[in-house]
Amino acid sequence: MIMRGALVDPVMASAPSGLWRDALRRLRRNRLAMIGVACMTLFFAAAILAPVIAPYASNDMSGPSLSGPSAAHLFGTDLLGRDVFSRVLYGAQISLFVGVFAVVLALIIGTTFGAIAGGYGGRVDGIIMRATDVLLSIPTILLAIGIVTWLGQGLPQLVLAIAVGYAPVFARLLRGSLLALREADYVIAARTIGGSNSRILMRHMLPNALTPLIVQATLVLATAIIDIAGLGFLGLGPADPRTPEWGTMLVDARRFMQTAPHIVFFIGGAIVISAIGFNLLGDGLRESLDPKLKR
Amino acid sequence: MTEKSATPVSAGHLLTVSDLTVRFRSHGEAVYAVNGVSFDLDAGETLGVAGESGCGKSVTNLAILGLLPQPAGRVEAGSVQLSGRELTTLREEELRKVRGSEIAMIFQDPMTSLNPVLRIEEQLIETIRAHRDVTVQAARERAIELLVAVGVANPESRLRSYPHEFSGGMRQRVMIAMALALEPRILIADEPTTALDVTIQAQVLDLLRRLTAERGTATILVTHDLGVLAGMADRINVMYAGKVIESGTTEELFAHPRHPYTVGLLRSIPRLDGEAGGKLVPIEGRPPDLVAEPVGCSFYARCAWRQERCALEAPALVQIDGGTQPIVTTGAGATHVAACFNPVAQAEVAEGRPAAGRR
Amino acid sequence: MARYIIRRLLAAIPVLLGLSLVLFAYIRLLPGDPCVAILGQHRTVESCAKLREHLGLDLPLWQQYVNYLTQTLSGDFGNSVINALPFTQEFTVRFPGTLELTIGALIFAIGAGIPLGRLAARRVGGWADGLITGISLFGVSIPVFVLGLALAVIFGVALGWLPTQGRIDAHFRFDSITGFLLIDTLLAGRPDYFVDAVRHLILPSIALGSIPLAIITRITRASVIEVANEDYVRTARAKGLAGKKVDQRHVMRNAWLPVTTVIGLQVGSLLGGAVLTETVFVWNGVGRWVVDAIENHDYPIIQSTILVFAAFFLIVNLLVDIGYAFLNPRIRY
Repeated sequence: MIMRGALVDPVMASAPSGLWRDALRRLRRNRLAMIGVACMTLFFAAAILAPVIAPYASNDMSGPSLSGPSAAHLFGTDLLGRDVFSRVLYGAQISLFVGVFAVVLALIIGTTFGAIAGGYGGRVDGIIMRATDVLLSIPTILLAIGIVTWLGQGLPQLVLAIAVGYAPVFARLLRGSLLALREADYVIAARTIGGSNSRILMRHMLPNALTPLIVQATLVLATAIIDIAGLGFLGLGPADPRTPEWGTMLVDARRFMQTAPHIVFFIGGAIVISAIGFNLLGDGLRESLDPKLKR
Repeated sequence: MTEKSATPVSAGHLLTVSDLTVRFRSHGEAVYAVNGVSFDLDAGETLGVAGESGCGKSVTNLAILGLLPQPAGRVEAGSVQLSGRELTTLREEELRKVRGSEIAMIFQDPMTSLNPVLRIEEQLIETIRAHRDVTVQAARERAIELLVAVGVANPESRLRSYPHEFSGGMRQRVMIAMALALEPRILIADEPTTALDVTIQAQVLDLLRRLTAERGTATILVTHDLGVLAGMADRINVMYAGKVIESGTTEELFAHPRHPYTVGLLRSIPRLDGEAGGKLVPIEGRPPDLVAEPVGCSFYARCAWRQERCALEAPALVQIDGGTQPIVTTGAGATHVAACFNPVAQAEVAEGRPAAGRR
Repeated sequence: MARYIIRRLLAAIPVLLGLSLVLFAYIRLLPGDPCVAILGQHRTVESCAKLREHLGLDLPLWQQYVNYLTQTLSGDFGNSVINALPFTQEFTVRFPGTLELTIGALIFAIGAGIPLGRLAARRVGGWADGLITGISLFGVSIPVFVLGLALAVIFGVALGWLPTQGRIDAHFRFDSITGFLLIDTLLAGRPDYFVDAVRHLILPSIALGSIPLAIITRITRASVIEVANEDYVRTARAKGLAGKKVDQRHVMRNAWLPVTTVIGLQVGSLLGGAVLTETVFVWNGVGRWVVDAIENHDYPIIQSTILVFAAFFLIVNLLVDIGYAFLNPRIRY
């Protein structure tokens, strides 16, 4: 919920086309990034394969109340005797679903406004930038609280609440790249041979402004997962309180923190591993895509 | 302020650099930055060092003062002696006392070499007080004197300014004031005018020459511009790929260059006397990448005078014409030496290529 | 300098206006009958009439907005729908608690983040650097409430070292003058109470400060590494300054600049994170009040909290920018 100030350097946007293959090679040599990929794979596998791997349905009261980890229940059971392992797996599904949709939506909204602002400049740019200032002045979690209480609880509302918080980040990032690129030689060249504004924007500038966006999107996905859990923890998760959303599960787990601390540990661990995965990958991508850091 | 060290002068020279070898190592790769550089410097002399960028000129200077970037850069062999005192093995605290006070340095870019958030005053005073036990007030007065000496108008008020409030030329004057603040015995000026406007360059060089002459400061003037050295240096070391490849008095070197690289350098600068035929000719190719351990003559790939032997064996820096007198390393009578198996003949200098039938 | 400050103040006005517009819309555009939407099951005939009058629902929208602006500017931030108490009354009681927590977290984040960042930068790629990079990665990847719960379990429950609930022992009696317990306990002449309040503050501050800590560490590290390679640092060393002097006067004076800006930006996230931290540590501040407001759909409270927090964030960053101009002579116009 915190790393909203875009830390990606817009200058690295000026990327040559052979950069991606180069970047991939560098990324593969980056040990930390590979750990990130491993964490991420774990997260994706948990989410996608949950119905296959999970030994029980998410609301199946399959065991005794609050039992510790055992062969039958790897992560133990919660108050209602539901299998925590299965619920953590299904929880990954929700985090992945909401997180990815929120980031994609934020990207769509953000890049649209960012492209308009950076591509056309002038008064439009001024208005859009002031609007992002407004949104960025509100702490993300409060903004999301406001939106969810306004729209009512539910997964689509969560998606929108998170997306609105991060769209300004992408808007500013893209605008920054575009402004830097506007001065770039090949854009000036395209202009002198008479390319139209929108054509120059689409063909020449957007593809080159893409790399910082991809890096930032990866990092935002990490914080989005944390934010979703935070909203769940505040009781603003999915409408059905039985839904195995990580933050919502933590509300219950917290009540038995003294008798069954392992539940908090496993759910918290799941959130941390997913967030670490995207953070490491994002950092690795930034390093491997930034030509200035090339060794 | 020149009551400094009374150490017995063993080699007789103020500064003796011998067989200096510097490597940069990181991530399992090594850069062979300086490969056995030797030279001497006497009090009051101005030694010019010429060569393309990346030839080890600056690294040599940084190594003399123990300022190599850490932890990658290391002096792996050779020695640097200041009046017979070995610097390469000196403890950091002892070396610190040498820096600024006995050997001072001026860097290339005055725009970035002064700290942007400190007033000129603070930067001058801290320099003086790092070496002299004087009050701030005394140091301040000295700072004003120095600014007057380097030709900064209104020194009292200019002391309160920040570097960004000065022009490039003025900043370099401040840098010179700072370097001369402690009356060092040696001043190393690393491309002091490269970043300046051409019109300012002459003024700054003039100032530098006047101040060092007045104080008897020995100077090492590093530049890629031989034209600058013509008017400033007593002697010149031409460097290539981390080695001195030719050395002699300025007059001798300009008149009778022997190393093909020196010939190339001379042909690539305009000469006022028009001796070289007026046409400017760049040296083809690029200096070698120093990531591989040098084998043979480093200039081999770009040399028109090369022979088979040059690829396998590195020529030593020797007296070219086989003179029998002992080699003199300093002063007006310094011996002309070059590291070349097939030196350029006088007749070939103007043409810039070997005479027909000579290969 | 004065002109710079005035210019920055003027630049904040459109943002504040935009903010008020958004929050105005937030209440007015609630779906359905505003009385039902806002007051919900708490509504009575009188409270509905009062709300209609307060919002001026019969007037045209632009006039409603002007009213909202004048009300807000005159210090009327609306009333709770639960107990009809004005926002400002409850807020002024609770905000010091949140501010105390936020400042505690900031002190932890800066106090630990800057030395850690400097330590990591000293030897890039060394084991300390790796460890510190790992800590900061963990810091941005762990939600404040998970860290809070973990700290409470370990240091509160298991080890019993520190209290995990509330701001101070509930049995202590003393006058609340400023609302800041660290100040009030001292004003009451009770250093023992003061120590207890500090002990209550430690775990929440660490939990809330973990993300700023991570970010400040990273920025400090990057900034120190960058500055250490600057020409003027080489000049300082070539002048024969002692290593410590070079570090303090030349490296840190410059490395500070980006760190300051980042610290300002962290205040927003700290205020947001406080909502979660206060929930975990049963901390009496604005955050827990907001959580209650969420449950009760107390829209005016949510609306005004957002407004005040955002305004606070903008003001803090304005102050940081002005402070930055003092630190960086190149900005002074």
